[in-house]
Amino acid sequence: MEQAAIYQLLVERLGDTAGLAWHEEGPQSFATVAAEQIQAVARFLREEPRLDFDLLMCLSGIDWDGYDENGKGKSVDILGYREDGIPETSDRVAEGDLGVAYHLYSYQHEHQFALQLRVRRGKPIVTTVSDIWPTAEWHEREAFDLLGIQFSGHPDLRRILLEDSWVGHPLRKNYQMPGQWQEVPLKGQPYSKNPFKPEQDSVADDSGDSGNSGEG
Amino acid sequence: MAPDEKNTVATGGWAEQGKIPGLKSELLEINMGPQHPATHGVLRLLIKTDGEIVYEVVPYIGYLHRCAEKIAEGCDYRQWVVYTDRFDYLAPMNCNFAYVVAVENMLPELEVPERAEHIRIICAELQRIASHLIALGTFGLDMGAWTPLLYCFREREVILNIFERLCGGRMLYNYMTIGGVRFDLPDGFAEEVLDFIDMFEHKKIDDYNTLLSYNKIFIERTADVGLISLAVAHAYGCTGPVLRGSGLPWDCRRNDPYSIYERFEFDIPYGMGEMGTVGDSWDRYMVRVREMRESCRIVRQALASMSSGPVIDPNLKKVLRVPAGSRYTRTESAKGELGHFIIADGGTKPFRIKVRSPSYSNLHVIQKIGPGLMVSDLVATVGSLDIVLGEIDR
Repeated sequence: MEQAAIYQLLVERLGDTAGLAWHEEGPQSFATVAAEQIQAVARFLREEPRLDFDLLMCLSGIDWDGYDENGKGKSVDILGYREDGIPETSDRVAEGDLGVAYHLYSYQHEHQFALQLRVRRGKPIVTTVSDIWPTAEWHEREAFDLLGIQFSGHPDLRRILLEDSWVGHPLRKNYQMPGQWQEVPLKGQPYSKNPFKPEQDSVADDSGDSGNSGEG
Repeated sequence: MAPDEKNTVATGGWAEQGKIPGLKSELLEINMGPQHPATHGVLRLLIKTDGEIVYEVVPYIGYLHRCAEKIAEGCDYRQWVVYTDRFDYLAPMNCNFAYVVAVENMLPELEVPERAEHIRIICAELQRIASHLIALGTFGLDMGAWTPLLYCFREREVILNIFERLCGGRMLYNYMTIGGVRFDLPDGFAEEVLDFIDMFEHKKIDDYNTLLSYNKIFIERTADVGLISLAVAHAYGCTGPVLRGSGLPWDCRRNDPYSIYERFEFDIPYGMGEMGTVGDSWDRYMVRVREMRESCRIVRQALASMSSGPVIDPNLKKVLRVPAGSRYTRTESAKGELGHFIIADGGTKPFRIKVRSPSYSNLHVIQKIGPGLMVSDLVATVGSLDIVLGEIDR
């Protein structure tokens, strides 16, 4: 079935309540759906015999910071960060949405469908689809880990790639890497132009309190 | 997993023993990895065991995490090809291929020359053989068979030598680029590949079958072990040899063709439960052995139909701007469905790249099928999944 036909089927069944919209521009068409309706839409896509989407190929978290829903860029002035990488709250930064993209495939009908949703950065809560496609469990954990999207109803929402004690979400556009983590310096030393005279550099580094102060 | 399901796993085990007065028994938590040869990389499996029976498996990943997706947002589209090498470090050509195809799909005016397409397919299929050889050898090693590993590495070495002559790299190639490949083939490349393919297809694969595939001890260790039913494979997003081992002849190269795969004739091997049940470890293993033959067929056809000409699009711009939009493109890497979801904003750098790596989903399924296995069978199951931690952690 064509993607547009699948979208029509979705609209017929779920009507206006799901906040559906169809985007044909770009190299791949996709539907957008209201974040609170994703469970109903996903269940319909999985269980409707004409659709039968049994494979969730990919679930991606996205930080749309700087881009509105029409894909037009807005310049975002990032005002600053706290020491731990959390941005200073400002109205402009809080405007940028977070998003989730779902890419589905049906082995039986051999058709694909792409679905996207957006949530406000201030309250990034999406209902989980891991009860419909168990593979979403790890993908959602990854989106939580790297982008800070909360998946309500997820059975085991923990960080997956980063350490539990990590602060911040690296794939957010305004993430700033912390200087150190558990006393391990994360930022590199300044490049020394003469690698054969390391003594002076190391002396300069030892004298300073922080390992990445940059003198030398 | 539902709590009631958990309790049914170890019936007659610790729960029963606890009823005997004075006899205390409890679950034992052990770590398999992160430094353990049978985990195929830096993977930690936290296993709760009831004696020899695995009660719960919790994989801990991320030891190799480099956040390459974040790095991508600061790179030119071409510059990121080199990072894709580091995902599946046993099959970098396939990873290069997946990424460049994904970007090329978003560039409507770009045309990859015929010769480059053929070279790419030859490289990808040789790489698939090399990757499967590692899978075979290390799987045999997990089962206690030392010798096949040495045989497999010997043949892999020939492929690495071919690649070294092709592009200078032995392990990480950075050979394919957006619009084509970086260099043309060296003199005598076709003969060298044909020599290898002839020797490999007609002799070496039979050797592996004699040494390992139909070895009675090996069959005893792998048949009926670590069953993945087709429903579970779908639900957990298993792809590649794991999916085919579960009995579905589905291959991205055939069912959703990219590049010029639709021109080539090849069969899709799938698990038939010859030694036990469909979807057991032996089936997954055997799919890989048979796929190597099919790869040889594809290489032969590609070499025969290759024409001369440029190997990179001559009209390619120096600065590559990808028009705004998003697209998910998937390819069949050696491990399964390797997909790239790229969001472009019209600039020279990607806005977001998400890599859907096959091993990520293929490892996830161990949480489902692990409980109830013997500890030694868990080793067999992890080995049969053929995971690479580089692409799980990314």
